[in-house]
Formats: sequence, C-alpha cells, structure tokens
Amino acid sequence: MKSWNGLKRWGGWLAAAITAVGLGLPPASALASGGVAPPKQDWTFSGVFGRFDEASLKRGAQVAVEVCMSCHSIKYIKFDHLRSFGFSEAEVKAMAESQGKTKKDKMISGMDPQAAKDSFGTIPPDLSLMTKARKGYEDYTYGILTGYLNDKEKEMVEKIFADGNVLDPEIKEAAEALHLGHDLEKAKKSLERIHRGDNFNKYFPGNFLAMPQPISAGQVTFADGKESSLEQMAKDVTSFLAWAAEPTAMERKSAGVKVIAYLVLLTIMLYAVKRRVWSRIPH
Amino acid sequence: MFKSIMEWVDARLPISDLIKSQATEYPTPKNLNYWWNFGSLALFVLIIQLATGIFLVMHYKPDAALAFDSVEHIMRDVNWGWLLRYLHANGATFFFVVVYIHILRGMYYGSYRSPREILWWIGIIIFFLLMGTAFMGYVLPWGQMSYWGAAVITNLMSAVPLVGEDLVVWVWGGFAVGDPTLNRFFSLHYLLPFVVFGAVFVHLWALHAVHSNNPDGIDIDEHKDSLPFHPYFTVKDLYGVGVFLIIYCGFVFFAPNYFAEPDNYIEANPMQTPAHIVPEWYFLPFYAILRSIDFLGSFSKLAGVLAMVGAIAILFVLPWLDRSPARSFRYRPLSRQLFWLFIIDCFILGWVGYNPADATVFGGMPIVFVGRAATLVYFGYFFLLWLITAFDIEKPKPTPTSI
Amino acid sequence: MHIEQEESRRDFLILATSAVGLVGVGGAAWPFIRSMSPSADVLAQATTEVDLSAIQEGQMITVPWQGKPVFVLHRTAEQIAQAKNVTMSELRDPQDDKDRVRKPEWLVVLAICTHLGCVPQPIGTGEYGGFLCPCHGTHYDTSGRIRKGPAPKNLEAPPHEFKDDRTLIIGKVLA
Repeated sequence: MKSWNGLKRWGGWLAAAITAVGLGLPPASALASGGVAPPKQDWTFSGVFGRFDEASLKRGAQVAVEVCMSCHSIKYIKFDHLRSFGFSEAEVKAMAESQGKTKKDKMISGMDPQAAKDSFGTIPPDLSLMTKARKGYEDYTYGILTGYLNDKEKEMVEKIFADGNVLDPEIKEAAEALHLGHDLEKAKKSLERIHRGDNFNKYFPGNFLAMPQPISAGQVTFADGKESSLEQMAKDVTSFLAWAAEPTAMERKSAGVKVIAYLVLLTIMLYAVKRRVWSRIPH
Repeated sequence: MFKSIMEWVDARLPISDLIKSQATEYPTPKNLNYWWNFGSLALFVLIIQLATGIFLVMHYKPDAALAFDSVEHIMRDVNWGWLLRYLHANGATFFFVVVYIHILRGMYYGSYRSPREILWWIGIIIFFLLMGTAFMGYVLPWGQMSYWGAAVITNLMSAVPLVGEDLVVWVWGGFAVGDPTLNRFFSLHYLLPFVVFGAVFVHLWALHAVHSNNPDGIDIDEHKDSLPFHPYFTVKDLYGVGVFLIIYCGFVFFAPNYFAEPDNYIEANPMQTPAHIVPEWYFLPFYAILRSIDFLGSFSKLAGVLAMVGAIAILFVLPWLDRSPARSFRYRPLSRQLFWLFIIDCFILGWVGYNPADATVFGGMPIVFVGRAATLVYFGYFFLLWLITAFDIEKPKPTPTSI
Repeated sequence: MHIEQEESRRDFLILATSAVGLVGVGGAAWPFIRSMSPSADVLAQATTEVDLSAIQEGQMITVPWQGKPVFVLHRTAEQIAQAKNVTMSELRDPQDDKDRVRKPEWLVVLAICTHLGCVPQPIGTGEYGGFLCPCHGTHYDTSGRIRKGPAPKNLEAPPHEFKDDRTLIIGKVLA
C-alpha cells in the first residue's frame, strides 16, 4: 500500500502542476479592448467520443461554397476531399464547377486578393485553420457569424440617434445589450460608429471588423430541406470549418480510445509485476 | 549457441561485464521513491523526441515559404503524420514536466551535494541545451508565435554590450528573422538532441561513479541497503513509463493543442505582431524574471537578460551555497519550507510571464510589481538557503545511520 | 510447494506482461513505418482522369500521369487497320493490337521510348504512320509497337479503363 500512496502523491502533484500551468491562470485583463468571450456551444464532435455529424458537414460545405468562398479561400482542402463525408463524386464535381474549378482543385476563392483589399481594406483570411487559430476555437467562429446586430438591436441603436438627443440611460441600455462595458464614454463612441455604418460584432476583439455580416437567414436553400436560419447555417458552416481545420481529428480520437485502453491494461500488468518482484524483499 | 557467441564477443569486447556492473547488477538504494522515476522517464521522452523528429524531417521543409504548408501536409496527407507531429509537440511539453520534476527532486533530497557536484552540473548543462533545442524547434512550424517568439528571444542578444547589435544580425543571418534564421535553427534543432544524448551519457557516467542519492540523503552500506537494478528498478521504471504514457497520450489524442497557442496556426507575418505574444509555458517563469527588471533605465535590458540567465546559472553554485550537515530536506524543516515557497514562487512567476507586461492585478496594481517580488523570492531562496545553513540557523533533525 | 506456485504464477505474469508490451512496441512502430508510404496527396496523383469528348478522330493529346507523359490517341479507322494488319513474326516485340488497347479507337501509351527514355514525337511523324523518337531514330507504329531503330520493346501501355464514354482513367486506383 505504501507504493500506492506514493503513486497517488506524485500523480496528484503532476496533475495539479499540469493543470495549473496549462490553464495558465487566465490573463489578468482579458480582452481589454472590447468584445466579450463567445458563449460555449454544444458541438457533436467535442469530447472523447464526440464525432462529426455528416449531414451538418454537408450543409456546412454548401454554405462555405455558396457564401464564404465569394471572398475566402479554404486552401488546404480540395473539392475532392469533400467526398470523405458523404458527397458523391457528381455532387463534388457540380460544386467545383459552380466555382469555375475542377474537383482536383483547391477551394480557392474567385475573388482577387487585391480587389478584396481595395473594397474591404484587408485580404480576407484563409479559413482552412480558422477554428484552430483563434482563442475560443469553434465557439469563436460561431460567435462571429452570429454576433452581428439583429434587427431589434439595430433599431435600438437607430432610436438613440433618431431624435438628435443622446441620453445616458439609452446608452446604458444599449451598452448592456451589446456587451459594451461600463465606460459610457467608450460605449457612446462605439454606438456612434455603429450609427455611421461600421461593422459591429459582439464577439470580435475590439468589436469592429472589416467583414460585413457574412450570412443571413434564408441565404442558401439546403439540399436536405433543413430550414436555413442564421443559427443553423452558422452551426453547420462552423462544423464544416472544424472538419477542414483537421480532417484527421476523428481518426485521431478513435485511435486514442484504443491506445489508452491498451496502455491502461499494460500499466496495470506492469504494476502487478512490480509488486510481485518487490514482494520478495523485506521492507 | 548464444553462450558461445557471447564468450567470443566478451573475449574481445567485455560487454557482459559492462551490462552486469552498470545495468543489471548495478547497486541501487532500496529506498528510492517514485520521484526517482523521472530520470529514466526523461531518457524515455528524449528517445520519443528523437524518433518522431527523425520521421517528421522526412516530410518537413525548412524554407520560410514552405515550412507552414509542409506542417499542414504532415497533418493532412502523410500517413499518421498527425500522430508524429502531436507526439513531438506534446513531447516537448512533457519533456519539461519530467525534467522540472527531476531537477526539483534533486533540490529537495540534496542530490547536488558532494560528491555529486559534477553530476549536477552536467544536468544543468543538459537543461540549457534542452531549452535551446525546444526554442528552436518551436520556430520551425513558422506560425505567428514561432516567428515573433524567435524575434523577441533573439533580440535579447542585442543586450550584450558593444557587439550586441552585430551579434543579433549574425544570429539572424539577415536584418530580421527570416529564411536564413529558419534554416540554421532547423540545422541546430536536429543537431542539439544528439549533443543532449551525449551529455546524458556523461550524466549517467558521473552517476555511476558516485551512485544514486536516496530520500534520506545519507551514504548507504551498499551490501546491506542496495538492490540490483534489474529486476527491481527496471520494472519500477517501466511501470512509471506506463503511467506517464497514459497521461501523455491522453493529451496527444484528445487535447493535442492544449499547450499550443492558437496564433501559431496563422502563418508567420513579419509585418504584423500578434496582440499578445507569449513563450511556451516552460519558459514563462524565466520570461517573467526577464521582464521584472524594468527599473534600471537603459541598463534594464542587459540586467533582465543577466537575471534570466542567472536564474538557471545560479544552480551551478548551489552545491556550495547549501552547507547543512544533512543532505535531504526530510531532516531540514526550515529548508523544506523554503523549498515549497520556491515552488509556489515558480508558479507565480509563470502566471506573471503569461500575462501581458502592462496588465494590472488586484484592482490596479501593475503586474510587474508581482513579478519583481517573485523574482526577489526566487533568488532569495538561494540566499536564504545559504544563510540558514552557513550560520547554523537551521537545526537539522538527526539523520538515520542506515536506511 | 507454496513457493513453487508463487514462482510459476510470477513467471506467467511476467511472460504475459512482456507479450503485451511487445505488442505495444510493434504497434507503436507501425505509424512510423507507414509514414514513409506515399502520402494522400501523392496517391491522388496515382490516377489521371482524361476528358475524351474534346479529342477528335485522328487527334492526339499528351497528359501527365504520375509525373510521366502519356499519349492518348483517338485512332481513325485507317490507323486501327494499320495496327491490326501486321504479321506477328515481323515484330521485334510481338504483341497483338487487341492486347494493347481497351477500345480499338483509343490508344493509350506511355510516351517514354524504351531505348533510352526520350519522349517520342506525335502521331504521324514516324514510318508505319506512328511515332518517331528523335533521339536515336526509333519508329513505333499506330499501336505504339517498335518497328525500326534501336529500341528493344514496344511503348508501354499503362493500366487504364473507361469510366464512361467520355472519361478515361489512367492508372490503378490505390488504397
């Protein structure tokens, strides 16, 4: 039993050390410049046994091709790769051809990067690794897609400026709804920028970004007949981008389950051997 | 058959004798606890890193224009490439977990004390080499953190008086971090692990000359109180490897990016620094020490670098700072308290290092104040250890005469 | 007696653990070995798909397949007849035309001269209505067979199949 206690002790310390360092004891002043952390979503593919939902990936690919690819490339994915989650060869071919490409081509946007820079002030980033390359991961991508002002919120902001008389309680109410923080001066400046037509997003660090609201309800007609609400489209396209960021992720997790099961068995056996060998000497 | 072959070999190269005296029958104190597993574990991780590294190199391209893509090629196209890469990246993290525990074990049980000073020194040299190897390895994927980490750390060399600026340009092979820098880092990242391997051999040589310390920190009667290394410690070490692999593979397969920064999945862009750059977690305490020296005007930069290097270099003189008649902290209550304070302090330094330099804590206090205090405590450990042992302030408990 | 039992149980335990451990070592080696096999992007180049609808009778195109040039010739009735009406004994590397093509109107051959590896010139450049290799004057006929010159063998016909009337796939689909 002595050795078990020893193990418990060092195992506990190791776990504590990894957790403390790994969690990094979150930054003291997170996102000081505006934008709140996006809310957590349920993803079918998270956790040890979570897997991609193929129907969702197919809908997401449709959104990506029909909407996102007008400006963004997904350069590490070829159209042909989309067959790995259930598209037929003919469907993949049709999707590629709709973009003036063949199925062996990479998913590169037709937009000229220089033209994009001229009209948006920046080159739209490649989306291949988007869900891995931002703090918040998939939740962040979903947050950005759904974090623009809805009609009610737009109306609220317009109302503040409509009468030419900007009141503190109005700002306060809007600041709360849009997560603008407690500094009313700052909130007012943000509201003025929204009023001027700058692109505001609740979850973007700094709140204002070059990309206008990219998707809106009903923008695509899903092949499987699912209603294309904003939330549905955002969820599906985020799932698709999560797949695109690491197509081998599910393979990794299934291998992992087997590897861990094997290692647990081996370690138990090694522990038994160790005890047996050591039982021969008097302590 | 086998016996006669071995006799033939042994007459020419006495390999059986070597294995017997240095491995299977090597006398090992019977009271070693599980903290003593971390030495062999470190060797195990080194072998994992060498193996995965050699296979990754078959697909990686050390070219600023191709490096990032080639890593994604490994992740997506190469058979099991994702496994090799995640084993290697997380291997670096776990290498440091294991090595830090190994070093702290030595500090707690007085393993650096006479006659093990040279053994201890070689260990520190290995640690320096590991830090260099890990740093250069982190640059190779050529993401934003790779690039800007390289920029910040190499810029530290500009603090060297007179030749600093020239030195940095020499290290870069250009006017900024760029393709030549990536190429030489790749070369050295491949070379250094083999140097480490050689140093590990010398480390073991020194160990086998003076034999293992033990939790009581006393010299033992080798006939009475030691066990042959095999099977007792081979099986104990293998069991440790099993437990280690479960934790390590848990991260590799289910949270492979847990220790990674998202920014490193953005390709390096020399025109734009990420909003908040941080080194890998294992450098954070030293990074905090570097940044805490900011009150000396134009001398701050050099002083910060010296403090950072000194934080590790001070370990070289530890055997002479500690003058207690007892080696192990088991019998040294005051030293033990200092030790735990030191550990807590390292975590605080890590936390300070993770935060932006201009962050504030506890309602408006600049975090650098915490960093300065923690730096003071870090070096204070070594000073106080000397103080309480050199002037007999600590009264050690009587040590046993045998284990 | 008791000790003997202990011993044998220990031996079995150690044996079983060693066996399980060895399986693990073998399993761990597999990803390393497999990582050296052709990667997915290389395998994607194992086959080349050719759209045949644009190739008129008598026309020929050169397509890359696994990094090598391949001639795809839409043979005319005359070219087919030329390829078929040959006495086998006249040939250096006797092979019936029907063993070299899947469909008589389509000739698919590797455009690498079997002499020293040059790329022969297009259809109609050589005697026998076929291909001339300019390097050392080898002549291949309308079936790509060696007829004259230093080459030892016929032009190789790579594995190919017709997915449908207008789509040719060169190469075998691997794993």
